[in-house]
Amino acid sequence: MTERRLIQNFRGMRAILWAGPDFAPDTLDRTLARLGVETARMEEVDLAGLDRDRDVLFIDGDQPLAPEVVLAPGSALPLVPGIGIVGIEAPSRLKLLTEAGVTALLRKPVHAATVYSALFLGVNNFRRLRAMETRLAEGERRRNGRRFVIKAVVALVRGQGLDDDEAYARLRRESMRRRLELEEFCEALLLEGGGTIPAGWPTVSREPMDHRHATYPDDDGRRDGVADADGGPCGGPDQARRA
Amino acid sequence: MTVTAFPIGLLISTAGPYAEASTGMLAGALLAVEAVNAGPLPVRLVPRFGDPRGELARYAALGDEMLAAGVRHVVGCYTSSSRKEIIPQFEKADALLWYPSHYEGFESSPNVVYTGPVANQHLLPLADYLVRHVGQTAFCVGSNYIWAWENNRVMRDAMAAAGGTVLAERYFAVGSTDFDQVIAAILAERPAFVFNTLIGVSSYRFVRDLRAACGRRGLDQPAVLPVASCTLSEPELAAIGPGAMDGHITSSVYFASLASPENDRFRAAYAARHPGGPAVSADAEATYVAVMLLAQALAAAGTDEIGAVKAAVGRQVLRAPGGEVAIDPETMHAALTPRIGRSNAAGQFDILAEAPAPVRADPYLIGSASRFGALAPRPRLRIAS
Repeated sequence: MTERRLIQNFRGMRAILWAGPDFAPDTLDRTLARLGVETARMEEVDLAGLDRDRDVLFIDGDQPLAPEVVLAPGSALPLVPGIGIVGIEAPSRLKLLTEAGVTALLRKPVHAATVYSALFLGVNNFRRLRAMETRLAEGERRRNGRRFVIKAVVALVRGQGLDDDEAYARLRRESMRRRLELEEFCEALLLEGGGTIPAGWPTVSREPMDHRHATYPDDDGRRDGVADADGGPCGGPDQARRA
Repeated sequence: MTVTAFPIGLLISTAGPYAEASTGMLAGALLAVEAVNAGPLPVRLVPRFGDPRGELARYAALGDEMLAAGVRHVVGCYTSSSRKEIIPQFEKADALLWYPSHYEGFESSPNVVYTGPVANQHLLPLADYLVRHVGQTAFCVGSNYIWAWENNRVMRDAMAAAGGTVLAERYFAVGSTDFDQVIAAILAERPAFVFNTLIGVSSYRFVRDLRAACGRRGLDQPAVLPVASCTLSEPELAAIGPGAMDGHITSSVYFASLASPENDRFRAAYAARHPGGPAVSADAEATYVAVMLLAQALAAAGTDEIGAVKAAVGRQVLRAPGGEVAIDPETMHAALTPRIGRSNAAGQFDILAEAPAPVRADPYLIGSASRFGALAPRPRLRIAS
């Protein structure tokens, strides 16, 4: 895996402050402005329109807080990077910030000299954790598909008299040729053959896998840290995901 | 007209590993205090001195003493570590530190006015000049603290953006003087230039030893292995000594050799006040500028309450020896004029390039780098010779 590049300039980002009415935002606003970050209040924004490449949440842990409001579906992380603002250091309040998936803290009263560090850690830790979540989900999905690979190998060994290494190599070669993951390819192949390898394979004329799209609902692995404005190190999305 | 006296602190080391630079700071500060006290502004400055001798713990102790005595404005600190050491005290006491030194940026304390240059005013112009006019490969040698670490990080990014490479980074404890191994490595690598972030005695020794090692191999060091830095100043050239003081490339917002009426007056006054030295330097000029700006802001505010002084300093413009200086009210950093100089055998700098106008400080490089830190193209300095 290529080294994840760190964001160090936050200009153009938007800080969304989720805080109670008694929070004094002056130092935070002023310091963020120096960093080129605009600010908005939580009640002014539509959560559905948040952009994790642009937005960052500052969450005041001292207010009544329902962490699930900001969590991304199926994730332990918020929709966008979250930075906790801690006044009362009671476990009950810290627990809520943890549940909201914050990846950095600011202590009250907010001190100008800590804001850049909190942004740096909050945004970059979020990106790192999110990439790990994506990789875990992908690993899990592939693990679930391994049984189709085993079935396809067994079917080839039985049906075409290959040994298991040869059968595996052939499946792998064919999946790569079709630019499909091995697991997806084997699943589709078995589906097409009604639980076994279609007769005459691999000279089938029709591409299997019409029933699934070859991309994934979460495309973040491609976006985060790969296709950035600096043209970072990148082997192309196919190589990165399929190798 | 009512003339008001204000106490100010001068927290400046005259001994220790970077005394060559900081002694110049004190000389500049004293010149400015006397100029203010003899001048037309309705303020008189009553300085209180503290000499930390380059020891971190003494900065804190002396800073505390000044603040306890009611001083609200202190001019001083050379290294970032000393500044960071005392900032909490200044924030607690709601006092203002006037920090005249160049530094690496990434700070904007509400209790500091930064009158020295940051990376977009010293390091980026230097990196730009070096890759355009010297070469594409760098060997970085530095003192093992934040100044060198962060400058080398920026240099690495700047070199990468220009298609160049940093071949190696080597760090030495502040005060180190044994450079045989790293000089052997440099001679083996043969970079286009050496980027020197060593400070004080380490820097002088390194430059002398590199010159000698090149000499033994028949190499003309300034021509084939020039040493570049953002720190080397005129008094430090004297400390390096006559055999090795020439041919070094420095990025600075001030050189004593600048030709301007303001600088002529400054040099003359400085020479009259400090006939025995130290030589006029960027550190002396920057500290002079800090005290003059402080005096102007005190006069405009009519009080030394720091909120009023901070508001007032943002409205001041000073025709300084190094050109016009103004403080950006948003960042409390100075707009300054970047220049590149090359040292000569007379212990002065020949100016190679300069910005056509003062450049606003960008302490967090938000206008100079991409979100991943890659450095954007910059306007080139005007070639002066």
